[in-house]
Amino acid sequence: MDAMSQPRIEPEITQPPRPPERDTVLKAVDAIENGPAALLASMEICAKCGTCAEQCPIYYGAPDKTHNPAWRSDLIRSLYKRRKTLGGKLFGGLAGARDYSDGEIQEWVQRLYECTACRRCATFCPFGIDNSVITRKGRAIVNSLGLTPKRLLEVVNVSLATGNTDGCGREGFLDAVAFLEEEIEEECGVAVRIPVDVEGADYLYVPPSGDVLVNPEATMGVAKVFHKLGVSWTMSSRCFDGANYGLFTGDDVAMKAENRRYYEEIMRLGVKNLLCGECGHAYRVFKFMMEKGKWWGELPFNVTNVLPFTAKLIADGRITLDRSRNPEPVTYHDPCNFGRSCNIVDEPRRILRAACSDFRDMTPSGTQNWCCGGGGGLAAMDHIREFRMTVSGKKKMEQIRDTGAVFVATACANCKRQITQLMEYHQMDVRVGGVHDLVYTSIVM
Amino acid sequence: MADPPGGRPPTDRRCTVSALAIIVGVILPPVTFVLFVAAMLNRILTWRRAPKPGMTLFPTSPGGTVAGVVKETLFFPSLFRGDRFLWAMSWLFHAMLTLIFIGHLRVVADIPALWATLHIDPDVMSGVVGGAAGVTILVMIVLLIGRRFAVERVREISAPADYFALFLLMAIVLTGNAMRFLGPVDLAATHRYFASFATLQWPVVPENSWFLAHLFLGQMLLLYMPFSKIMHFGGVFFTQAAIKRS
Repeated sequence: MDAMSQPRIEPEITQPPRPPERDTVLKAVDAIENGPAALLASMEICAKCGTCAEQCPIYYGAPDKTHNPAWRSDLIRSLYKRRKTLGGKLFGGLAGARDYSDGEIQEWVQRLYECTACRRCATFCPFGIDNSVITRKGRAIVNSLGLTPKRLLEVVNVSLATGNTDGCGREGFLDAVAFLEEEIEEECGVAVRIPVDVEGADYLYVPPSGDVLVNPEATMGVAKVFHKLGVSWTMSSRCFDGANYGLFTGDDVAMKAENRRYYEEIMRLGVKNLLCGECGHAYRVFKFMMEKGKWWGELPFNVTNVLPFTAKLIADGRITLDRSRNPEPVTYHDPCNFGRSCNIVDEPRRILRAACSDFRDMTPSGTQNWCCGGGGGLAAMDHIREFRMTVSGKKKMEQIRDTGAVFVATACANCKRQITQLMEYHQMDVRVGGVHDLVYTSIVM
Repeated sequence: MADPPGGRPPTDRRCTVSALAIIVGVILPPVTFVLFVAAMLNRILTWRRAPKPGMTLFPTSPGGTVAGVVKETLFFPSLFRGDRFLWAMSWLFHAMLTLIFIGHLRVVADIPALWATLHIDPDVMSGVVGGAAGVTILVMIVLLIGRRFAVERVREISAPADYFALFLLMAIVLTGNAMRFLGPVDLAATHRYFASFATLQWPVVPENSWFLAHLFLGQMLLLYMPFSKIMHFGGVFFTQAAIKRS
């Protein structure tokens, strides 16, 4: 057979054609006039006072114009002014407005993924302008053009396909849980169960998957707490990862789809409480969007979190921690999504003061604490590691160094990854783990 | 150049002045008033209608919303934590602005009963407090302009509009101070002037060039405000209330 005589078969187009860049960008910018209110007002009232820059971990790490939060937000704000405000329409550049130049979306990708969406700027802005909301809007535009950084897109897709960001199947999870049970028994001589898929339990515990597969001590700590408490609890072999990267990529559809799977599993199991683990953004999505935002209407279960949960058990004397078992200096890093975005600040400290004999707070701390430099999904992006180590994480490294602590406790898998790498990069002999890692080692069984 | 024989051709300077006075002092004010109110309402209603989803929240204790908005509006605590120097300048600036706004009520109408009740001599009060406020705010504006030029992280995000707002305010304050220190305006005349708007009579614009310049610039500010960042005057309530909720 002569290949040349064969009828030519055109290759099938598998990729949908890219939407035209300019139209997509401008349509999305125009839609800002419909809100949300915080985004709309920030298009119009920013006084350009420069306060945000002083409070931004990126600008602190490298004070360059492109790292200035107001400059970054102006990528979108200036287009909005040109198209939707009288001043921008009449006076253009004089009013801080400009037209879109084709191809600039590539710069957007870089700049918008240099913001950790930590919201620290918003707590110092006299008007409460939240640059993270603008960053997320920009990322949503980038995402609709198929330009989201590959690594984050993979995480979103893996999570949508498997229900967890590690792409771990049911068997893998069951193996991991069995291993954790063995570990606890080996280390403590007590048989502690981690129940799986128990219907009608009081609590469904949903950690980030890393707290089962990578750094499982926090989950082991939670298992011990439930063992002492004696109330019914369970994990789900389908839904064991609260992480929701649609929050980071600006993809609302993916974010809700991901959340829907969890909602359905909670309903199927018929549990009374969703107990979110040590993952700030997961709790933020579950609590403030799914529950308070009524994504699926009124919920027949409570949404709570393991930090206030354990802190209350300690306060009520239902579990006892022996702080002499953790004698080394420990500090706590507030994950931005727990501290600023959920106002969970005191609870982890109450736990740590009960679990360690030398707890040292960072300066500043709580809702004013600095971002680790890996927020907004950046911690997962290895191609910007140098940036995270030398620019966005610089302040965090200095804060940790100043405490003299040898252990940094934090309640976020991304913060843990970023800070572990930071300590390695800057050759600091500091270990990193979860709050419940220290509960694990100090709880009196 | 020498004057042509027979002297200058007669120009009716008084006529030009009064034409300007009629445009700025009679025709423009009702236009400014209507546009200002309509534009402000438009902005505020737009913000009210916009959704306020949980994603943009900073949760506070119950009642924290109102307390937060009041505190932020009166004392700027967020800015205080972030930048003391800027806080001092902007707080003094806004406090003086408030005093000056209150002081202007006396230009619009006299309230002798109030002065009697408070045992205040309005002229002394106005001279001391108003004079100090007028000078202080000028200093603050100059400092804010200087900061915008001098501080890198502010200069790199500044558009001409950011300078314009400050220079417009400076011009308003300068003409206001000129009236206080150089060519005082007749308050009886201003009372009659503003009263005639309320009673829909033809207003007689007080004959004072500083007054006319000040009146013109003030109206420019009112017209500019709803379309510019000065709208933070209304927006701050919305952003703070939209993000701080229990």
